[in-house]
Amino acid sequence: MIERRVVITNRLGLHARAAALLVRTASRYSSVLRLERADKTAAADARSLLSVLMLAASRGTELLATADGTDENEAMSALCGLFVDGFGENDR
Amino acid sequence: MRGPRKIGEQEVRWQGLGVSDGVVVGRVLRVFSGARQVYRATIEEKDIENEARRLRAAVGLARSQLLAIKARAEKELGEDHAYIFDAHLLMLEDRKLLDEVENYIRQERANAEWAVKVAADRLLAVYAEIKDDYLRARGSDIEDVTQRILVAMSGESSGYRKLTEDAVIVAEDLMPSAVAELDFDHARGIATDAGGWTSHTAIIARGLGIPAIVALRELHRNARTGDRIVMDAQQGLAILHPSASTLAHYASVASSLPKTREIATSDGLRPLVTLDGKEITLRANVELPAEYSDVSRFGARGIGLYRSEFLFSNRNAMPSEEEQYQAYVEVAAVAGADGATVRLFDLGGDKMGNAGAESERNPALGLRAIRFSLTHENILRTQVRAIIRAAATGRLDIVVPMISDVMDVRRARRIINEERTRLEAEGKEVGPSRIGAMIEVPSAVMTADKVAREVDFFSLGTNDLVQYLLAVDRGNEGVADWFRSLHPAVLQSIDRTLDAARKAFIPAVACGEMASTPAYAVILIGLGTTDLSMTASSIPRVRRAVAAIRFADAQSIAMECLECETADDVEELVRVRFSQKWPELFKPKSLPARRDAE
Repeated sequence: MIERRVVITNRLGLHARAAALLVRTASRYSSVLRLERADKTAAADARSLLSVLMLAASRGTELLATADGTDENEAMSALCGLFVDGFGENDR
Repeated sequence: MRGPRKIGEQEVRWQGLGVSDGVVVGRVLRVFSGARQVYRATIEEKDIENEARRLRAAVGLARSQLLAIKARAEKELGEDHAYIFDAHLLMLEDRKLLDEVENYIRQERANAEWAVKVAADRLLAVYAEIKDDYLRARGSDIEDVTQRILVAMSGESSGYRKLTEDAVIVAEDLMPSAVAELDFDHARGIATDAGGWTSHTAIIARGLGIPAIVALRELHRNARTGDRIVMDAQQGLAILHPSASTLAHYASVASSLPKTREIATSDGLRPLVTLDGKEITLRANVELPAEYSDVSRFGARGIGLYRSEFLFSNRNAMPSEEEQYQAYVEVAAVAGADGATVRLFDLGGDKMGNAGAESERNPALGLRAIRFSLTHENILRTQVRAIIRAAATGRLDIVVPMISDVMDVRRARRIINEERTRLEAEGKEVGPSRIGAMIEVPSAVMTADKVAREVDFFSLGTNDLVQYLLAVDRGNEGVADWFRSLHPAVLQSIDRTLDAARKAFIPAVACGEMASTPAYAVILIGLGTTDLSMTASSIPRVRRAVAAIRFADAQSIAMECLECETADDVEELVRVRFSQKWPELFKPKSLPARRDAE
């Protein structure tokens, strides 16, 4: 299992479109991907849109991402890629 | 097209198309196309698996609907706007939701509807706690998805909706039947994401004299019930979460506007003549009982068009002969000495709602109106019996909608005559209804001279005529630019139809929405119409215009319009001539807008 810290950088946070992209991405891998708020108030299965939305992750929120499974490295780097480029929405 | 650029409770403005004038400051009532009441039922142990299967089937149906919606949205609005349906799809596929619903069914032995509602309410409660305004607003997406499942499970249309306080109805789109169910006493305005100038929503809103804005694209999913909203229909503007200064501005605007519904018509009952003495008759188009009182209030000379299919859409079942008889007796009484023209059911197509018809790929060109009635002959016979019986109590004529040519008229007339004979044999009292043809299909226009010989009058249905002549779906905002009521082809068709009526010595009534706009009404009069039927609340302003013009002037402008090459040319000509001839009567805003203005 691997762990990473990620930060929401896009202005609208993990809103419907960004969350949908996250879920679609997570669903491509067999590993279990989880996201937890750094303040431990909420955790989510990255394949469940409803639970991802319920992280209420607005801009600046810090999350702990974990991946566990045979393709955990690829899954984690795909996931982190989304956060780094702000779900393709920065400066929009 | 830009989406909302401001988030949360800040003021957000949405630009749409104002289709019924007015300004409203109020609160949102979000209406789903099929919002419904859900009740708790306890199911037996042995039926639990069945209930779970019903749920999965409904989810499957909802999923295929969403896939279709998403594909259409991608095509028409672009990826930027279609993503939301991807989110809806993911919610539908989300095990978190479905597992919770299924567990609830099993543990509580609850019916699937109730389980969906409980799961949705739990999720919504969590969302309501979210501090971020934008994310909290996503609760509306959960509402949408769960409502869609519930509707899929029911397989029927929405239940009756009673408003407890005044509200602005915000919907994606309103089916005619959904509009019919609205509580008119409390609906202050209507704002929808889809629709166009002649959509049912627009027509009914004008009929009720409440403001309406359509084509707002994404208002519905961004609004929540209870949100403050300002509607400025003149500007086609809907403003969510208005700021204090916006509210103050519109509060003063709203109080300074005359309320269309309250305009008294002191001169309303005198015959209307143009300055050069041409007598013009203005009648009312009526659809809903809520509009009955407007007929006398706005001084209409009877009912030029009674859209009878609303007897149908209110109830999803065939109204009996007796129920229809009562309704037509009332219509005749409302119309008074000038009488009413009852249009035979215009069912099928978009007006059928889901009252049992197979879905058609191209409903506007499908089995609708008289085609539908001739195919379902018992429906036609029941209606005809009710009308001619009611005609014994007051003046009622019959108009046959959407005839293709004289064949449809003959078939309808044969049935009307048979039922008349039968009623007489039964010893029932019947009245002398005249039979007219609705001219709204191009083939009927082309053969109008033949049709005129076999009917007692013509009704010109300009809405459908424009749609069929120009091959433009009037509900499709994507082709709104092609829907041109002043297209030369439309004007020539009207001219040709009126000419055929004159030569056969039969009257012709223009009863489309065109007549509601004073400038268009003047053009219709110039083409030779002396009898117009429109939404009753439009009568005072059309009356003012007609009383202040010379028929000869209208005629010469109309003749010039007939020679134009394009709709743009006609509209430019109308702008120029009207503002030269009647600068006081027609302000630029009341004339066709310049298309290149944007």
